[in-house]
Amino acid sequence: MAFGHFGNPLGHFFDPVLFTAELLFTVAAVIFCFAIYYKTRESYELTKYEGIKYFRDAFLFFGLSYVTRFLFSLLLLSRVAFDIILLQNIFVPLFILPLGYFSTIAISYLIFSLIWKRYKNKYLIVFGHGVAVLLPLVSFLTRSHAILLVLQSLLLVTAVILALLMHKEGKKVTQVRILYFLVLALWLINLWMIGPRRLFTVKISSQVISLIVFVTLYQKIAKWVK
Amino acid sequence: MNNKKRDRLEVIFDIFKIIRDHHNSIKPTPLLRYSNLSSSSFSDYCAELRAKGFIKDIADDKGRKYITLTDKGFKYLEKYKLILGLIDEFEL
Repeated sequence: MAFGHFGNPLGHFFDPVLFTAELLFTVAAVIFCFAIYYKTRESYELTKYEGIKYFRDAFLFFGLSYVTRFLFSLLLLSRVAFDIILLQNIFVPLFILPLGYFSTIAISYLIFSLIWKRYKNKYLIVFGHGVAVLLPLVSFLTRSHAILLVLQSLLLVTAVILALLMHKEGKKVTQVRILYFLVLALWLINLWMIGPRRLFTVKISSQVISLIVFVTLYQKIAKWVK
Repeated sequence: MNNKKRDRLEVIFDIFKIIRDHHNSIKPTPLLRYSNLSSSSFSDYCAELRAKGFIKDIADDKGRKYITLTDKGFKYLEKYKLILGLIDEFEL
């Protein structure tokens, strides 16, 4: 075993503060994501409205993404602690697939919930799943979650361009659209912060802001779903 | 597209409201008239709403057919405004 430059042979894996913060953040984020999904169930069941479907499915997949992200972060941290080549070559690439799929489909669905009326197309879902398979596959083949991050950032840029196009047509930049942007941007930041050698304060700040965004979204939904 | 979809939710709301306002039982012909739909659209809506369990057919002693709301139909009426609020607020 090589412990690198970490003084503690157990590395960051057993850093109780980092581990607890990561765990608490994941639990809270997943609870709010699934709560949003659950709260909107009746509205969707009654109407089968496509926009509600994309919206709630986005949060279902964000919940799954955050669970996978947590497991992935444990894996990365254990790699730092124990320096096992197998982890890097087999388990990390394998984790990229579900992580990339869940998060890409979540991002796609959140974008679809805004644009489905304009670009109504029966192939929209097929396209979303295609992108969600392709992105992690590229990341898997390159053995790098940073590639996934770059590709998902391109999705975010696409979403911003679409929002700007809609803005040009007279639609205001609403609070909800800013919240959507924050959900997507913070996912990318949290994905970037998954590594063990990140600034603790930045990591915690992005997690706290993420939770504030999820709570705000939940409160807005709770207003309409009694 | 938004309006078309919104219209769909509105049309369903209007159909349910008409049924409810007629003591929850109305014959198909007046319902068609009050709902301002074409005959084929009306048939499509009724078939869909029947299949999804929002409305059901009942018959009186003389075998005359009426359309009535189920609990799910009443639930839709009750939640309609809130669902529209959700759709508007989140730009869905």
